[in-house]
Amino acid sequence: MNPLELTLGIMTAVGGFVDISELVFAAKAGSTFGFALVWVFAFSTVGIIVFSEMSGRVAAVAKQPVFSLMRHRLGLKLGLITLIASIISNLITCAAEIGGVALILNYLTGGPYLPMVIAVTVALIASIWVLPFKWVERAYGLLGLFMVVFAVALVANHPQWHQLAGGFVPQVPDGLSTKELLTFGYFAVAIVSAVMFPYEVYFYSSGGIEEGWSPKDILTNRLTSILGMGLGSLLAISILANSAVVFGPANVNPEIPGSAALEAAIPFGKWGLILALLGMFFAVAGAAVETCLANAYSIAQFFGWKWGRHKKPWEAPRFTVTWILLFVAALGIVLTGVDVMTLVEFAVLFSILVLPLTYLPLLLLSGDRAFMGRYINGAITKTLGWFYFCVVTVAAMVALPLYFLTSGGNG
Amino acid sequence: MRRWSLLLFVLLTACGQGPQADLQYIKQARSISAEWALVNEQANRGRLTITYVQSMRGWLHDGLETASGSLSQPHSRYGAEIRALLAEPPDAAPAELRRYAEALKQIEAEFESA
Repeated sequence: MNPLELTLGIMTAVGGFVDISELVFAAKAGSTFGFALVWVFAFSTVGIIVFSEMSGRVAAVAKQPVFSLMRHRLGLKLGLITLIASIISNLITCAAEIGGVALILNYLTGGPYLPMVIAVTVALIASIWVLPFKWVERAYGLLGLFMVVFAVALVANHPQWHQLAGGFVPQVPDGLSTKELLTFGYFAVAIVSAVMFPYEVYFYSSGGIEEGWSPKDILTNRLTSILGMGLGSLLAISILANSAVVFGPANVNPEIPGSAALEAAIPFGKWGLILALLGMFFAVAGAAVETCLANAYSIAQFFGWKWGRHKKPWEAPRFTVTWILLFVAALGIVLTGVDVMTLVEFAVLFSILVLPLTYLPLLLLSGDRAFMGRYINGAITKTLGWFYFCVVTVAAMVALPLYFLTSGGNG
Repeated sequence: MRRWSLLLFVLLTACGQGPQADLQYIKQARSISAEWALVNEQANRGRLTITYVQSMRGWLHDGLETASGSLSQPHSRYGAEIRALLAEPPDAAPAELRRYAEALKQIEAEFESA
């Protein structure tokens, strides 16, 4: 297998795991609760591996994207509700990512924020228009690997390794007040949501079809899911753990994405800072591309239009117009002046509400012998799938109350 | 017991006004001053780019202004601390910024134990 075939998973995971919401939530989680939330990342990583593998398998075997099958399986009404909910969720997320890229560009160049937002949107549209799909995923996926500097910084920041290892054991820290307990719960739910963002599955499965996957690519799909998501998780946990070491003792609760770059700057100086900012730039830009394309894929697949970046833009005109308009709509949201961090919170909250609607049809489809033949879910995948579906359903029910009770995790 | 304390907390949160309602902004201001100190400390050691430092100072200052403007009791002791912090120059001494962070942390602890 060509290692470059893994880039779809790397882009999905780097853009999904270390997007703007993760940069903020992982850093805040580490500074507030030390290593105690590491297990939530590990736990959610298994969940996203299960569902991304499932969606890739459906794409490879049924050769149909998730949303097309969803409409047939759920019917027009429920399918439309799922479509509208995911469009809103992805659009808010895309706006947050565009704002995030502009912020990072501001840290790198000092250019004013709002013009940067416009420039970023134009550049993202141009990159999707010009580059073939394979190069879109390779460019954003591989350049996002600058984020590895956070994993190296973790070694240089000398954490207490035994404490970090202990963070992988599911736990609620002792001695928390009721308020702190609720804040811990809010962070746990937000991390589950941010790790299992629905757009990752839409993008990944549609990407599999863009690449022409067939049943012979089942192994590639499995490896891509495990290695890509595993790498994304490693980077997100590194950001959290660095934050526990650097920010926790300094009484800092990072509120803006630029704070995370300090984690690499403290051990490595200017070069660490620049690598961290470049990694963040490409990872968050990749996430903006993912969210926008995921939305366009969903709409085109639902209505049965021609779609895909493997086609020339004019060969799938409604799809092309859709993804451009979605970028423009996301730009419009950011230009209203709404704070990027507020958008991040809304994106995470809305995504958790959409998660059960996203994963239930996928679970049903991948367990349907009529569609999947002998590639139907095995016993382990089926058990894990239903278990994680229950988890995201409970998370969706408690997300809003926890958000209001903790003032968005600010206590 | 925990269920009752949770219910009490929910009711208090719903009715929250004054210093308790300001607690999140005090925490925010404390965190910003501590982060500002960290940025200035690293900048003084020449470990950050000038562009990044200027940009971070700008965003942190904006955050501080937002926290200050959101206080329900701006003329309180903590309101005065945050205003004084806002008046500091961008390249304020890290030790001075940490003094503000400590003072706000103390106020935070008082409210949390009340």
